[in-house]
Amino acid sequence: MSRDTAPATASDAEPYAVPPDATAHECPRCGRPFARERHRDLHLGQSHPDLTADERAAYDAARDDEAADLRRFRIVSLGLLVLFYFGFLFLFAIFG
Amino acid sequence: MRRSPRPTRLARRVLPVVVAALATAAAADRATAHAGGIRSAARETVSVPTWLFLATGGAVVGASFLLASAVTDRAYIRRIDTWGRPLPDAGRVATLAARGVGLLALAVTVVAGLGAESLGITDPLRNAAVLLVWVGWWGWVVLSAYLVGNVWPAVDPFRAVAGVFPTLDRAYPDRLGSWPAVAGLLALVYLEVVTPLADDPFLLTLVVLGYLAVSVAGSVAFGVDDWFGNADAVSQLLRAYGRVAPVARTADGLRLRLPGMGLTEADWVDGRDDVGFVVAVVFVTTYDGFVGTSLWADVARPLVGVGVPALVVYLLAMLAGYGLFLWLYLASARAARRTADTFVAPGELARRFAPSLLAIAAGYHLAHNLGTALSLAPTLAVVATAPLSPPPVAALPVLLVPGWVGGVGVAAVLGGHLLAVWVAHSTAYDLFPDRLQAIRSQYGVTVAMVAYTMASLWIVSRPGGAPPFV
Repeated sequence: MSRDTAPATASDAEPYAVPPDATAHECPRCGRPFARERHRDLHLGQSHPDLTADERAAYDAARDDEAADLRRFRIVSLGLLVLFYFGFLFLFAIFG
Repeated sequence: MRRSPRPTRLARRVLPVVVAALATAAAADRATAHAGGIRSAARETVSVPTWLFLATGGAVVGASFLLASAVTDRAYIRRIDTWGRPLPDAGRVATLAARGVGLLALAVTVVAGLGAESLGITDPLRNAAVLLVWVGWWGWVVLSAYLVGNVWPAVDPFRAVAGVFPTLDRAYPDRLGSWPAVAGLLALVYLEVVTPLADDPFLLTLVVLGYLAVSVAGSVAFGVDDWFGNADAVSQLLRAYGRVAPVARTADGLRLRLPGMGLTEADWVDGRDDVGFVVAVVFVTTYDGFVGTSLWADVARPLVGVGVPALVVYLLAMLAGYGLFLWLYLASARAARRTADTFVAPGELARRFAPSLLAIAAGYHLAHNLGTALSLAPTLAVVATAPLSPPPVAALPVLLVPGWVGGVGVAAVLGGHLLAVWVAHSTAYDLFPDRLQAIRSQYGVTVAMVAYTMASLWIVSRPGGAPPFV
């Protein structure tokens, strides 16, 4: 595993495809295109150790943002699991 | 590439022996169930409506995706993925011994198969060719490939024979890639379904010799390494299963890692052809089960009724089914590009997530074959020591497989899916810098896995039978 570095050394296809009408946020170090600034900022912090102060600040902000989104996802997925659990409990009680 | 109908037929031959050894009728019923593997195991335990059974299976896979998504610590995921220990190498003697065993097995198969009639060993249970291929190779060699490590490159008698011939050393055409192996795998499964390969030692040996001839021809044209590294279906199949195993050969020698973690590396899937092969490995299990269901009989009957040859109907179903599987998988990879909001190319996504499917395929193989491989292992051992004059069927030992082995099959199917979910999770974390992006990238693949689980469970919950019209 070569954590999110350019993925395709062995591939016979281009690893990235940017639609012509899309804005790409490119990594200033390795050129990998991202659809969102947050993705690029996180990538910089994870894959390139020598960050400038600005990049470091952007990385930290992106991490906070990411953590907030993850918290929301966890609450939703916990809700879904509870729904699954009781849903199937009832289904088995009625039909099982 | 066998699965239920045929091995069930083989297993049915075992039954009288098993039944005779059992005291009660109930016990005999249970024994029947093990020999059939997952299908009978599932039927035995299902007492809820089918739709609920299917929904539960799908929900388990969906819930496991949600649970895996709760693990968001990058360092922890990477630690699980990269954990490993170096192992001592097998050494030259073991490698030579493996080669010798492979060549000996091929020789015995040819003699016992071609001479089945004249030696009076047409009964598949007494025939070393049938037992070596279905129990020894399709059972134990394949089982060990994903449970321990792939020994086939050392054993492979086809490669050993093909290596003897001089080669013209033509350049292997790059654009062919693994497609010949895809075609070979589909062809072998097609033959297994439409002919009595598990019952007829002579026919089986003709197929083995035909396979040998193709291997030799390919090696003479392109060189042994190019042929067996790209186009040989059996080598590719075992290599793919070997990726699931805890023991793998790396550049630094043998290495132990956690089961399935070899699947997070996709360097060996170097294009659409290899994705196509992985999808074929998953597809053939489903095809083999599907043609034993009554739904297939209902679909095929009108076609056969209007005069379409049954062989053509089976071939069309195979090609259409494979095309559908490949299309669905590529569509789920394209969906990942949208849900994850990424510029990673669709082909690249398909390539990276493809190996996770192999965990599922390994789970189904274990479920289908563990019972037969265990119960007939002593039979194989006895017949292999006297292949030309094996004892009569009544005197052949058969392992009485305990009832819980059927449960192991169901657990293997589920375990394969759970492993696949984790591998996809780990791969997504490797591929995407944003963890939410990594989670969202798996929506499409998870939907595909849920659908596949439900379809497979539906097949195993149907009363199984031999494929009709052939």
